[in-house]
Amino acid sequence: MDYVQQRVAQAASNQDASTSSLFTPLNGLLLSLLLYTTYTFLLRPSPAPQIPKEEPAVVFRTFTPHTLLPYNGEKDMPVYLAVRGRVFDVTRGRNFYGPGGPYANFAGRDASRGLACGSFDEEMLTKDLDGPLDRLEGLGAAEMEALQGWEERFEEKYMVVGKLVAVGEGEK
Amino acid sequence: MSFFDTVLLRLDESVTGLFGQWNLWTSVIFTVFAGFLTWQIAARRDPDTHPFLLARQAQGSPVRQPGQSPVYRSQAAPHGMPLNAGLNVKDAGASKWSRGRDGDLRDIWRQAVAGVQEDGPTKGRTGRILTVQGAQVIEHRLDAITRQINLIGQHILNQGGHRVAIYLPNSVELIVTLFACTFYGLTPVILPFDQPDDAVISMLRRSAADTVVTAPGSFPFDLVVKSYPSLRQLIWVVDEGSKHMDWNEVPQGTGSSVNVSTWQDVINDGPVDAGKDLPPLEGQKEPCDITIFWQSKPGQQEELVRFRSANLISAIAGQLFAVPTSQRMGPSDLFLPADSLANTHTLVLTLTALFSNASVAFNSVASQADDLAIATRGVSPTILVATPAALLKTHKEASARTNASLFARFLHRRNVNQLNHGGVMPTTATTGTATQPEDTKLRLILTAERVGAGTPRLSSAVLSDLRAFTGARIMYALTAAKVAGAATQTGFYDYRVFEGEQGGGCHFGPPLTSTEIMLRDMGEWKSGDDGSRGEIIVMGPCVAGGEAALGVAGVMRVDNTLTYV
Repeated sequence: MDYVQQRVAQAASNQDASTSSLFTPLNGLLLSLLLYTTYTFLLRPSPAPQIPKEEPAVVFRTFTPHTLLPYNGEKDMPVYLAVRGRVFDVTRGRNFYGPGGPYANFAGRDASRGLACGSFDEEMLTKDLDGPLDRLEGLGAAEMEALQGWEERFEEKYMVVGKLVAVGEGEK
Repeated sequence: MSFFDTVLLRLDESVTGLFGQWNLWTSVIFTVFAGFLTWQIAARRDPDTHPFLLARQAQGSPVRQPGQSPVYRSQAAPHGMPLNAGLNVKDAGASKWSRGRDGDLRDIWRQAVAGVQEDGPTKGRTGRILTVQGAQVIEHRLDAITRQINLIGQHILNQGGHRVAIYLPNSVELIVTLFACTFYGLTPVILPFDQPDDAVISMLRRSAADTVVTAPGSFPFDLVVKSYPSLRQLIWVVDEGSKHMDWNEVPQGTGSSVNVSTWQDVINDGPVDAGKDLPPLEGQKEPCDITIFWQSKPGQQEELVRFRSANLISAIAGQLFAVPTSQRMGPSDLFLPADSLANTHTLVLTLTALFSNASVAFNSVASQADDLAIATRGVSPTILVATPAALLKTHKEASARTNASLFARFLHRRNVNQLNHGGVMPTTATTGTATQPEDTKLRLILTAERVGAGTPRLSSAVLSDLRAFTGARIMYALTAAKVAGAATQTGFYDYRVFEGEQGGGCHFGPPLTSTEIMLRDMGEWKSGDDGSRGEIIVMGPCVAGGEAALGVAGVMRVDNTLTYV
């Protein structure tokens, strides 16, 4: 109450403190606010929105079994595998085909025989990387059908980034 | 009192002191401020399209072959889907959701006659066909044109014609002859009009035409009969003033190897009831090819290009899908081609207008005079096809007029800002241009850069100025000899200005839904991770031969639109 009485007395004694000049601090404050708003809305150009650049496209390569081997997901490399001469980028299925996954044997190798027989054993992979590609001999009709199904699944899910040729065959 | 109380007291005193200075000036400033904020909020308009859609207009394929760039496609035709190859023509009475067939040029006229098929306020409406002669506008009835198509086609077929050369300016007769050839199994050859005599003879010889439909006065008849003996038939399209003369005579000494007749005779000799119905849909033969001549720079020989009917249909489908659905051509539009119909791009657009049941006006002097005022005299078109030279002329005149007045300059700059930063068409066009009367309804201008023909380039600043001057949107396309229609075209809602870029920021937009673009390494222009550069290769169902190399170097900009290097 004390405080209120003091303030009321002060306000009563300051009745005629306002002047009618343009250059008061309040006017200056409001004017600068108005000028800044005008500048922001009217004069300052708004830059066009930038969206992040597209990722550069992958170059289609011709792989030999040796050059395909490093692409098994280790050391931050993408995961590739080959099915019937076509190299698929299966990095999205890293949990399956990458290191530590159930199908990790296929990464960086020719997986055709393994997919046809439905087996992830070491025997399904071509031992000799310098020799000719696996010609899928000794596989019956059921296995070829299974391989066809797998290939179609891969076509739908993953990107073809290259082709696999034997060492010495070079660019065809 | 305690410290807290003292602080509060000081704070109270200062705030009260500040606002105690409120006087008349303060009220005025505050009113202006509040009014400005209200106006800005109330008058704000959303951009016509989302800026992110303009920031990337084409999509590159995720894999590319070495020595090439990724293949770029329009966002409306993503990778993995087939490109737009057909018109989805449905037979009358078929369900709206049934899958239509691709169609050919015959279906375009059938659709034009049948009227709008979709249910809605415009169901059944057809467009009008107009001819502008000077200040006079003549309307042609659709059934009269159908009769002409039937009679002309039957006449040429009966006289043993196979390849029909059309050497006419923009006119109804050109379109009638084109449709007559498609309905009766003849091959049309469209020759660019107003060429020197030796060029005409060379084009006739290379296209092996045996029939010519032309207008007297521009066709060197005597010379052709002497130097081109394979000509069997000639049909004169005679205008009103010369109808009384005898056009059937053949120069002396040439023998009677050429059968000469006039358009009017063929039409009038047929019985009144004949030719009312078009040949039926069942059992019709395969559509025939169309041959056109692509004009490069003057002095160079024209290039002969053979298009299959599927190429033109795909180009028409691409043009239909280039415009958003709400803005497409319809019966309330008037389409005027102010560019020669021998130009594939203009021809494709005219056929698109006919297919969309828009009204079409023909002006035979429009293509020669590079002046939009002459071209649009007598009609007020809503959609216009113009050459870059005519647009540049309009731009120069309108700029000169605008720069004369300070207020006009301020208004124009405000309009350009609205286009570039606001992304909206200005509400008041910088009018006062003599090319457009005040009550013009022009809403779309289509123009094209012709590869190798030396057409002047339109930079984005010029295009933006023209949008402000005319109040119409502008779509700038890139066309080439072997591509029917356009290879790429700027977006309908793309009003951006790129000052200071190389070439003034002149770009040709993303590919259409019927084309895909790839850039092959050429000389010093190679593609890499930092960008795509090289020779422009166009592929798609609207390209003659499936793939065409344009022979010029292009680069893909950041927003995936194509431009020259």
